[in-house]
This record gives sequence, structure tokens and C-alpha cells, in this order.
Amino acid sequence: MDQPPHIMVVDDDREIRDLLAKFLEKHRIRVTAVRDCRDARRAWANGHYQLVVLDLMLPGEPGLDFARWLRTQSDVPIVMLTAMGEETDRIIGLELGADDYVPKPFNPRELLARIRAVLRRAGDSTAGPRHDGGSRPLRFAGWVLEPARRRLLNPDGVEVALTGGEYDLLLALVERANRVLTRDMLLDLLRGRQAGPFDRAIDVAISRLRRKLEDDGRNAQLIKTVRGGGYVLAATVEHA
Amino acid sequence: MTFRFWPRSLAARTAFVLLIGLIVVQGAGLAIHAMDRIDVQRLAQARNLAVRVIGLYRTVVLTTPEQREEVVAELHRGPDLTAELSSQPPVTDLPEMPVPMQRLFRVSMNFVGVPGPQRWREMQILGGPEWRRVVVGLHLPDGEWLNVTAALEPVRPWHSPTFLAAFLLMTVAAAGLTLWAVRRLTAPVRTLAAAAEALGRDVNAPPLPEDGPLEVATAAAAFNTMAARIRRFVQDRTELLTAIGHDLRTPITRLKLRAEFIEDDEQRGKVLADLEELETMVSATLAFGRDARTGEPVSALDMAELLRTLLDETGDARPEAASRLEYEGPPHWTVRARPLALKRALTNLIANAVMYGGGARVRLVPPASVGAAGAMLTIEIEDDGPGIPPGELERVFEPFHRGEPSRNRETGGVGLGLPIARNILRAHGGDVVLANRPTGGAKATVTLPA
Repeated sequence: MDQPPHIMVVDDDREIRDLLAKFLEKHRIRVTAVRDCRDARRAWANGHYQLVVLDLMLPGEPGLDFARWLRTQSDVPIVMLTAMGEETDRIIGLELGADDYVPKPFNPRELLARIRAVLRRAGDSTAGPRHDGGSRPLRFAGWVLEPARRRLLNPDGVEVALTGGEYDLLLALVERANRVLTRDMLLDLLRGRQAGPFDRAIDVAISRLRRKLEDDGRNAQLIKTVRGGGYVLAATVEHA
Repeated sequence: MTFRFWPRSLAARTAFVLLIGLIVVQGAGLAIHAMDRIDVQRLAQARNLAVRVIGLYRTVVLTTPEQREEVVAELHRGPDLTAELSSQPPVTDLPEMPVPMQRLFRVSMNFVGVPGPQRWREMQILGGPEWRRVVVGLHLPDGEWLNVTAALEPVRPWHSPTFLAAFLLMTVAAAGLTLWAVRRLTAPVRTLAAAAEALGRDVNAPPLPEDGPLEVATAAAAFNTMAARIRRFVQDRTELLTAIGHDLRTPITRLKLRAEFIEDDEQRGKVLADLEELETMVSATLAFGRDARTGEPVSALDMAELLRTLLDETGDARPEAASRLEYEGPPHWTVRARPLALKRALTNLIANAVMYGGGARVRLVPPASVGAAGAMLTIEIEDDGPGIPPGELERVFEPFHRGEPSRNRETGGVGLGLPIARNILRAHGGDVVLANRPTGGAKATVTLPA
């Protein structure tokens, strides 16, 4: 077994800090929990972290300022805890380069799934180019995917709705365009979102994505099925 | 019984009354003018006749009785006047002239005057009420009668074309001014009604301009004050709700984390389900508070795809309902809206249908005429549930209103889903109403500017 990942949790509520640390450690993630941005800077200087979980609502220095500072220091993935449904916070956070956000009150298992997904993506980046900053719009075959707003625009600039799972799936495909994504990877993305059997969920989500991208299912040109269980996005992706 | 032609609008009523008044006044004016002209013309004719009759009389009186016949025959001039001497007053088929008309002649004859000694003893004026022919009989001092028959020109009160043109112009101008003034004066009432309507839909509607006539400005100021008080009241309540919602997030998060440490799987599941419900209530409350002042920008989105995606999401979350979720309509339809807000509104409506009806049929009906001003897009969301009691159809849109308590306890919900949906749709210039379908089940009809 390899080394458990080490992450930093910044949250001003002591109970949440302690409980979250305990919960994540139960799931083999090493946690250093701090209460504000000052302690976070100190902890950052003294340790090595694979990921930072940052509450945006902090006493004293706002979480967004710390995120900005952190970005100047490192490419470490950031998962933000935002106030429920505060769109502006979320969008600013993602534009600043957060890798994901979880609204508060969060479901601990969902947070765990997001942390793992982000860690996997970050770990993967050693093998290939990781999209920088995580929030700039991505353009492929005329379509635009905006991570900051979690939305897809068609070539006419009209927003095409996506479910949460479809978005995660499409983002994964776009970030790794022209590389095969195994079903296992895609399954992880949908885990926690679907109530039904996961295997079918992948196929359903892919077929819906093809419909939305106007990619003919029987003769798919954009999202191609790879024999042996996997999918690949066949398109050139550029930062818009 | 109401008067059939009584118009409904204030402007039309005021204009109606004023125009009726104008017509009466102008009609009376015209009648007075006509009668006056008739009098003037008759008087002129009477004067004219009097001069001729008196002249004749004086000539006859000054002539000896032997020469009279000759003189009368000689002086019998013109086709419009004949005179004859007789031993008796005039005998004709004409009745006596009405007294007011006779007076015209008598006065005129007095005015012309007859020297003292020749003053006649008696005079008869025949002619009937028609102004066509008059017979004047003058009793000569020696007992004979001088009977003069004269034709009278018909009176023509409408003779002057310039007068009629001027009169018509004046009437049209007065009517036009009346309509214009009424429209201007009642405009503030329409503005006020529109403002009240806008306030009912959106408390943050812009205030009324406080200008114009004093009464209008006062009413506008009073209205704005009222709107400000309502806004303040709504804001206070909303802020209270939002504050409570925000404060609840930390304890809910803690509880969710603690629940993860419950060893008993069944109990943990139940605690998490309870917390999920609590969170739903809090987020609904926060959503309700937020929608009152949404700051999301408007952008283009594919409504057809949004509806299908929402149905997919609902089906993913509730696989047992998945087979009863249907979409019907065009494959793509672009609208301009606030995507997140609209998504929330439609999610609430679909969730409602699924909650009470176990499924949802969503139909997107594009407007009949694309691009026309005021064209509305319709979205119908039908379910096969028990429907809604008729008395509740509007009340379910009141915040925190929950139909039958037992039903809601079982199905959850805070009583904010429909009010939130309506707030959002109204803020988009649309609306949502509920109705029962004749074949059973309920139908939510959403309208949106296309």
C-alpha cells in the first residue's frame, strides 16, 4: 500500500475540523486541520500537502485571499467549501483556480469522493498535461465547457444543461482529450451521484452526452467507444 | 340594469360624459342661432311689408273715394303684392295669424307711423302659422277696407355656409381637446395601476416618478412610500429567514459528520435521511430569500435540453419514477433567462409532480407566432396524482402554505417550492398557475417570454 495522501483542512469551526479530520483519517487520508488563514500559512510552510480543503467563510482574512496567495505559491489542488448556493463565491473561487467546490452543509461522503477525484486528477497530471488553473473555458469542436460556471455552451453560445454527473464526465473527457478513459475512472466520477447500478449509469450518461453534443450514437465522432471498455473524446481542446 | 353603452375605462367614461355635454351645448347653441336668424329675417320682411302697406294706405286715404279704385289698381305693384278695396274685411281661406307673428307686423306698422288724422280704426292680419302668405286688412276711416295680400319669402336659418363650417370646426376642435385632456389626465391612473400590478409581481419594481399635477404627485409619493414599507417588511422577513438558514448550516454539517461515526448502519441511514430533510428545508428557505434579489445575469439557454436534463436528473434520483417521466416538444428551443434560477423553478415544479403524481409529463409549446411582441412560451407539467382541491389552487403558492398536513408530513417539503418557482418565473416576466385536469391529476402551466 502506498503512502496515504496528506491534506490540509481550513475551517473555523473546531467541531467540524475535528470531526472531518477523524472522518477522513478513517478513510486513509492524513489530515492537518487549522482554524484560520494565519495558521494555514504557518502549516503550509511546515508541511507538504497534496490538497487543501478551504472554507471560504473564515474569521479575519477571507478564504478567497488565502486561495489567491496559495496559487502564487503552488499548484496544489484546492477544494472549496462554500456557503450553500452562493453562486458568486463559487464562481470567484473556481476562477481563482479552485479545483472543485462543495456547498455547505456538505455530505461527508460526497466531500470524500470529490477529494479523491481531485487527488486522482492531480496525480494523473504527472503523466500528462494538467489543465492549468482548472477554471479557464475549454473549447472543443466549437463547443465551450466553462468549469467556473459548470456549464456547456453550444457553437451558438447557447447554454446546454448538464446533470452533475454528465458535467463531471464531460470535464474528465475534455481534460484528457484523445486519451482513453477506462470505465473504472468514469465510474468514480459518478459514484455518489447515482442511485442506480453504476455500470448502466455510465452508458446512460454517455448516450445523453452524445445526444446533447449532437453526436450520432451509432456513428459517434466526438465521444468514441473504445473496445474493451472505455471512451475517448476525439477533438482538439484549447483554452478559450 | 346597467346602461349598455356605458364604457368601462375611466378615460372613456370621462370623455363620454364630456362629449355628451359638448353635443348638448352645441345643439342648443345651434338651435338658438337658428331661431335668432328666423326672427331677424321675419322682422326684416315685416318691416319691408309695413313700409309698403302704410305707403299704400296713406295714398288711399288721401285720395278721394272716386279715384281710389284707380289708384289702388295703379299702385298694385309687383307679383308679390296685390291690394284691393272692399266693403268688408279680407275674406280668404287663411286663418288668423298667430299672435306672436301678428305682433311683428303691428309693431312694424307702428314704427313706420301714420299721421294722426288718418289713423286706421282696425286691422286684421291673416296668414296662419306658415310663413308663406299674409293678408293685411286695414279699415279705412270711411268704413272701407284696404286688403293687401303679400307673398312671404321662406326664412332660411342655414343660409350661411361659412357659419356652418366654422361651427363644425369648433365642435371638432373642442371634441379633440376634450379627448386629449382626458387621456392626459387619466394617464397617471393607468401608471398607478401598472405600478401596483408590477409591485404585486416584484417588490423591487422601480418607484413611480413623483411629478405631474399636485394630486398625481401626492398619490405617486404615497404609493412609493407604501411600496418601500412593503419592501422593508419583506426584506426583514427574508433576512431573518436567511440568517436562520445560514446559522443552521454549521450544526447540520457537524451532525452529518457525527452520523458517519454511528456504527449501526440502519440508524446511521435514518439520521442521514433526517439531516437530508432538514437540509432541504434550510436550502429551500435560503433559495426563497435569495430569489427576491437575484443577481444572476441573463443568458441564452436551450430550454428543451434543460427540461430533458431535469427529467433525467429526477429519474436518476428516483429510478422508480423514471419510466413515467416524459418530454414532448421540439428538440431545441433557445430562450434568454437566468439559467440557475430557471432550473430551480422548473426543478421544483417537476419534483412536485413526481411527489404527488409519481411521474411527470412535460410539454414544451413554442409560441404560435415566433418573434411577435409579447409572444409567450408555454410549458405544461402534468401528473396523474390526486389533483389539488379547487380552493387550494392559488393558496399553494403562498410561502409555507402546506395543503393537508398529513399528506405533507409523509412527503416532506417546506411549502416553499411553488412560491419559489412563481417568484422566479414572475421575475422573468412569466408566471405559473396550477389547474386540475378533467381526466384527473394536476397540471402546472408555465408561461415565459419567448
